[in-house]
Amino acid sequence: ESDSTREQGRSLFTEQAEPPCALCHTLKDAGASGTIGPSLDVMQPESEIVMRAITQGIGPMMPYDDLSEEEKQILADYVAQVAGQ
Amino acid sequence: ASEGSDLPEYVNWKEPETLIIHSDNTLETKRSAFGTASITPEDRLYIRNNISPPPSSIVEDRDSWEVSIEGVAEPRTLTLAELKTMGIETVTMVLQCSGNGRAYFDHDPSGTQWQLGAAGNVMWTGVPLRSIVEALGGVAEGAEYVTGTGGEELPEGIDPLSILVERSVPLEAMEDILLAWDINGEPISLAHGGPLRMVVPGYTGVNNVKYIKKIAFTEEESPARIQQTRYRLMPVGEEGGPQWPSVWKMDVKSWITGPLDNRGAGPVLVTGVAFGGTTPVDSVEVSVDGGETWHQADFVGPDLGRFAWRPFVLAVDLEPGNYMLVSRATDSEGNSQPENFEPNQSGYSHNGWRAPGVEIAVS
Repeated sequence: ESDSTREQGRSLFTEQAEPPCALCHTLKDAGASGTIGPSLDVMQPESEIVMRAITQGIGPMMPYDDLSEEEKQILADYVAQVAGQ
Repeated sequence: ASEGSDLPEYVNWKEPETLIIHSDNTLETKRSAFGTASITPEDRLYIRNNISPPPSSIVEDRDSWEVSIEGVAEPRTLTLAELKTMGIETVTMVLQCSGNGRAYFDHDPSGTQWQLGAAGNVMWTGVPLRSIVEALGGVAEGAEYVTGTGGEELPEGIDPLSILVERSVPLEAMEDILLAWDINGEPISLAHGGPLRMVVPGYTGVNNVKYIKKIAFTEEESPARIQQTRYRLMPVGEEGGPQWPSVWKMDVKSWITGPLDNRGAGPVLVTGVAFGGTTPVDSVEVSVDGGETWHQADFVGPDLGRFAWRPFVLAVDLEPGNYMLVSRATDSEGNSQPENFEPNQSGYSHNGWRAPGVEIAVS
């Protein structure tokens, strides 16, 4: 994953997604310490699982319909790659 | 998912080898950890938190916990100490996550891929809601739902209704609802909703609101997203919304808890658990050939009431060969588990008897 997509993944995670993933999730690489949802560093989900959660939502988490397919994929790959590091 | 002792801190008192850790908010009891126990110990009971629990300080002075009762003639806020003077009942009940069995659907529904372990049979002790309502002058005119609100802390910067854990159940459930402070005779842990939990026998886990801080008798279902669009039963490909049925009551269900591994030929006791959901389970049959031939199993242990599960056993003598162990329960109204369960978008309420089948080779 090139640095730029990783940077974009981080910015999607912390700012661009609405509400920001960082608000509810913990992900050390993104400096996020939200505790509403499960810690992604503990869960270490695969990109496909993250993609499904972003697209369909889980429990209280709603689908992120306002993100493009490409943005969703960058975000999913980013989380899967950095979770747990 | 990882195992071993890296249990999240708020559940580090549980038995790690009995649990599958899906995330720090979702832990599943292993199928091998059920046995024929009538009651599931709290140290192996599954965990499904919609959002993370409140701080553990709330279980340090339990009796000072407050719940406000609204939609009654004389609305009031009551402490747990006061509730403990108003009545006491114990109910034995299957606590089962709405998504238990999600892994058995073929359309890859989003959410934790529970198989059978998001369920347990536990005894709750608390005050009946109907006693509280009576003491507060009865339900207000026009109320159709009991709406419970959880005491989790919500962060700034997000619409509270988007993550608030507030659930509504039909008013009729009031007859059985307890505000419970004990589970299996011990004060409820923070992980399972202590100090006080709204227990709705026969209804899936999400409806049994943890850290209950408000009970309101309302004309409408809660506006919270967890009620309006989530936990809805809709066809695959559809979006959740109030036009679809809410996930409320559980249906008849059973599964095999042993044997789960290949073994040598000879006599073996096939065991499992069965329950009716809201009506008593009447009978359970077991097949070792994937449903070709069925045999009536016997219940093990006492009947602990219509909301409880009943362990069962069938003695068989297995010759060398390959077997598919399945079970099929029937409730007291004659409803039996279907072979396959109609798929739904979010993967709720699966009670088909084929998918949880256990394949074993006997040599």
